[in-house]
Amino acid sequence: MEVVDKEGRTLTFSVGPQHPGSGHFRIIVTVDGDFIVDVKPDPGYVHRGAEKMSEERTYIQNIPHLERPVIIDSCGILFPYVLAVEELLGIQAPPRAQYIRIIMAELNRIISHMYWLSIFGIFLGHSTMFMWPMGDRELFIDLAESIGGTRVTFSYFVPGGVRNDLPEGFKERALRTCNYFEKRLKEYNKIFFSNPMFLKRTQGVGVLSKEDAIKIGVTGPNLRASGVASDTRKDEPYSSYDTIKWDIPVRKEGDCHARGMVRFQELFDSMNIIRQALDLIPEGPVKVPMRGQVKGKVGEAFARTEAARGTMFYHIISDGATHPYRVKISVPSFRNLIAIPFLLKGSHIADMPPIYWGLDYWPVEADK
Amino acid sequence: MRLGNRKSGGYEFDAKKQVGTAGFKGRHILYMDKCTGCSLCAIACENIADCIDMVKVDKNFPQNKKSIFPQIDYGRCVFCGFCVDACPFDCLFMTPFYELSTTDKRLLVYTPEMLNIYPETKGEFVNFIPDEKSGAHHG
Repeated sequence: MEVVDKEGRTLTFSVGPQHPGSGHFRIIVTVDGDFIVDVKPDPGYVHRGAEKMSEERTYIQNIPHLERPVIIDSCGILFPYVLAVEELLGIQAPPRAQYIRIIMAELNRIISHMYWLSIFGIFLGHSTMFMWPMGDRELFIDLAESIGGTRVTFSYFVPGGVRNDLPEGFKERALRTCNYFEKRLKEYNKIFFSNPMFLKRTQGVGVLSKEDAIKIGVTGPNLRASGVASDTRKDEPYSSYDTIKWDIPVRKEGDCHARGMVRFQELFDSMNIIRQALDLIPEGPVKVPMRGQVKGKVGEAFARTEAARGTMFYHIISDGATHPYRVKISVPSFRNLIAIPFLLKGSHIADMPPIYWGLDYWPVEADK
Repeated sequence: MRLGNRKSGGYEFDAKKQVGTAGFKGRHILYMDKCTGCSLCAIACENIADCIDMVKVDKNFPQNKKSIFPQIDYGRCVFCGFCVDACPFDCLFMTPFYELSTTDKRLLVYTPEMLNIYPETKGEFVNFIPDEKSGAHHG
């Protein structure tokens, strides 16, 4: 912490940007005694110009750099891009590719939520909850690596399908991992989610009511924790999500505890979706054969998907060239950034870590 | 930066042992007897990492009259594998070998002759067998 300003009763200082949980992010807070009276979030210099870079690269060349903002959920940020480009090209991915995309997106959701859970554990002073999810996360990284070829940035989704088929014996390996992980999640519940320390530090802390959540515009698990049953996978089914059955986890409390429990439940749901997709997956090609440069027809395309942190949205304008004319990315973390000052004002300093990390905010994704 | 004496403390570094899982996108292998020097891999790498240069070698190949082959700078490569997808002659693949660390960054530039040699690895892995059904392939 660095003291920036000292005047009268209040004290202004900066939290971050050295904390391992915040990355480049810092929060300039003004406190009166133990209470926070003013908050200014500073996302830091993490703007990469991903939208502008997209205008000077072809549709395929855009893929590696577009997934860099969120490397722990790289398929989540790439999914709407490929759907929008497919809309411009007037093609659709083959059924097998659609199910492989579901499996890969859900694996990424688990990987992202596990990362969130481990940092949430260490933020609340629970070191075991940092080590267990980080270790179990490797199992899902190994699964995703056997499909995509790398640990985090897969570059796996391409317009027209996915780049390669599932490896041999993937189904058995995935089911074995899911069965093992379900047992582990019960232990997580015992050691962390029903721990009095966790309950006392999160219940009734950072309450975001249903009306405020809708007004601010938060999406994803944060919105579901405030009592709104909204999920893009259910509301606007894409990529064969309509053939899969699961219940949206909804909580009414809207506090940090509800946000944690929604994400905890989503781990079970993602494994449930992977199991169903592995059963439903048909045989066939995984990619529409394409020759030469990809050229979109003149027009606009929209695509919206559910990434790990919420609704990911792309708007692409094409003028018929090999490069897109304009790419607009709307990311869920930017909406969570708006909620941070809203929730922190009036709360205790000690409640800052659960409120900040409970929203699952990712600075690079917000700044892109 | 000077590295410490490895023998005095820490572990013995053995690059030959480090192998990823099957299908891992690691160092490339180039089959020089099949490469025609069409430069599609270098074009695919433009604006992504710009790490592939077409260079001339002092050897004659019947299918490659200009004798130009890709040279890869691993100081820049992001291991996306789009160069492998672009190759129409199936002469560029990725191996699961990923231990490329050196103390001199100039050693990260792999010439076609270096890429032609399969990396020495102790682990066993299975290559994906490319066919039309499985779409693009790597590893």
